[in-house]
Amino acid sequence: MSINKDTIVAIFLLLFCGIMINSSFDIEDPGYQGMKASFWPTIVLCLLSVMSLVMLIKSMVSTTDNNLNSENTNSQNIFLKFKNASICFLMFILFLAFLDYLGMLIGGVLFVFGLLTLLGGFEIKKIINHSIISIITIGIMWSIFTFGLKVILPEGEILRIW
Amino acid sequence: MIDIILQAFASIVLDPVTLGLMFVGTLAGILAGAIPGFTIAMGVILTLPFTFGMTAVQGLATMLGVFVGGFSGGLMSCMLTGIPGTPSSVATTFDGFPLVRSGRPGLALGLGLWSSFFGGMISAVILVALAPQLAFLGLEFGPWDYFSLIIFALTITVSLSGGNITKGLIAGLLGLFAATVGEDEINGVARFTFGFDDFKQGFAFLPVLIGLFAFSQLLTDVEDDKRAKSPLMSQSGTVVKVEHRQAILIILKRWVNLFRSSFIGIFTGILPAAGGSISNILAYDQAKKASPNRSNFGKGEYDGVIAPEAANNATAGGALIMMMALGIPGDIVTAVMLGALMIHNIIPGPTFIQDEPLLAYGVFIAFFVAHFFMVGLQAFSLRIFLLVTKIPMYVLASVILAYCAIGVFALHNIVFDIWVMFFFGVIGYFMKKLGFPLAPMILGVVLGKLAELNLARATGISDDMLLFISRPWSLFFLLMAVISVIFPFYQEAKKETLFAKLYVPISMIVLSLPLFLMGSPVRMIVAAILVLTGAYFLYKRTSSLKTT
Repeated sequence: MSINKDTIVAIFLLLFCGIMINSSFDIEDPGYQGMKASFWPTIVLCLLSVMSLVMLIKSMVSTTDNNLNSENTNSQNIFLKFKNASICFLMFILFLAFLDYLGMLIGGVLFVFGLLTLLGGFEIKKIINHSIISIITIGIMWSIFTFGLKVILPEGEILRIW
Repeated sequence: MIDIILQAFASIVLDPVTLGLMFVGTLAGILAGAIPGFTIAMGVILTLPFTFGMTAVQGLATMLGVFVGGFSGGLMSCMLTGIPGTPSSVATTFDGFPLVRSGRPGLALGLGLWSSFFGGMISAVILVALAPQLAFLGLEFGPWDYFSLIIFALTITVSLSGGNITKGLIAGLLGLFAATVGEDEINGVARFTFGFDDFKQGFAFLPVLIGLFAFSQLLTDVEDDKRAKSPLMSQSGTVVKVEHRQAILIILKRWVNLFRSSFIGIFTGILPAAGGSISNILAYDQAKKASPNRSNFGKGEYDGVIAPEAANNATAGGALIMMMALGIPGDIVTAVMLGALMIHNIIPGPTFIQDEPLLAYGVFIAFFVAHFFMVGLQAFSLRIFLLVTKIPMYVLASVILAYCAIGVFALHNIVFDIWVMFFFGVIGYFMKKLGFPLAPMILGVVLGKLAELNLARATGISDDMLLFISRPWSLFFLLMAVISVIFPFYQEAKKETLFAKLYVPISMIVLSLPLFLMGSPVRMIVAAILVLTGAYFLYKRTSSLKTT
């Protein structure tokens, strides 16, 4: 018996199913005739639980798969592997968190510039290139959506005050 | 009928705006297909936000341009650099690249381009002929049959998406679950909202799709620091003159291969989730088996270029047949198109062609026209492709991530949709890392509400659950679902085992049962052929077992 990535995922999925099945008991029954609102999600969650259980058993029986003690799970390797993805996550969360203040135009330019610089490097030449790319691309996209497609993109408090 | 076709023709060919949009769409598709790391589905998904402000015909025509262009874009990169631009052009590399290296790049590109064109044309004819007939067949379906068809669509997606079947089923079920969040369509009752008002509207299909597919793909593309910073291609190739005339003559001389590969493509496209990535390999394999010059394959054999390219473009027509006739997406691209139609309050299904003939025939004509654009734009796009390949991936990824956010916001003008896209992007990224296929989850999200609605209708009409197995069509689809779940085990099983020997004949015999139950003479003949063929294979294989 071994514990690997799949074992952890299966346990997480079983926990998720447990929480959701528990939450499905709170789904209101308006008393109309026909299928209850909780019927279909309960079926899906029960099947999901069964499949997660199968995955758990298979992962514990398996001897070859994704062992947790392998070299790949070294903390430094994990950091390097997910470094760029984590930068993208972080920048996107910041972009969304400040969207109300900065708006889509300024926020978008800052997001693209920040991401380009964090992923591409901090040399002066690159920073100049990154600022040009971010201003031009977001400017064009913003113009197409605002003027071409008549979409009212978030203006942001800064521009509103200004 | 003729006046509808003429009107549809006018709405595409005589409208300069639609033609202009198709021009841009096809060009974008060729580039998206040519850039490794990008896929056609991603190209179509990213086009979608631009289509919100267009009419349904214009939106679909633009997306069809991207779809068709994408298939031919893949051939440019695989031939000139040896790196397939999309999974649907993998097999083209086997003979296309050697042909280029042997000093015939113009002919290689010509063969690929015109095989794509002819394959697309053949599938377009089949699309026009078959979609209305299939839709007519779909009118026989009750909610039981529809529900079972959706189950089949999900299970076959799981079995064809490769990898672990348990993980595939979990992904599909997670997709179905995601579609249940929010107010249910039957009773209007809130589900799994946990007190958040934003959750009441549920997760809109498109932010989920863009998140799962485009967002997660971009994160994967920039994962490797070194690769993300270097240009998209180290060998970017050179501009070559395409040898059109000679390529056409060679293809027409090998018409059997062209037709066989196109039909493989169409059939693969009709199967839910089996797209160009499967059809091009299947067609290549069949062309190799049928060719008298088998030993030349892999060294620049013409048939080795014709087969995969004809098949992958024909797949597009096959996928459209399912979407237009039954409202079941044949692949991720048609799932996006389904979403685009829903934005315009049009729900495809068996009555779609009857209810929206102008739009339906508009799609047929746009599919034809897109192939002409594809041929016309190839030389021009080759130059742009060579420029684009000099851009590093991190630049493209950063800009497209921002574009995804703007595009998703444009759908309902709410920031919540961008959060949904982000959330599903993160989920998609980790699911990919953990070996879960994304296609079943996407199909689960797309078909989840439809499945629930049909289940509600079925149980509303009758409490008798046995109707799911006593109605011939429903039984047929459920049996197909079971067969498709077992299929990966059959693929893994050794040829000599009893299971591997019996899988195909028993499947054929079992599938004949619902066809017999349908009663119509044609279906009974098909059922009898299935039984006889199955029995013949069963006899041959069991007798070979006895001898060994």
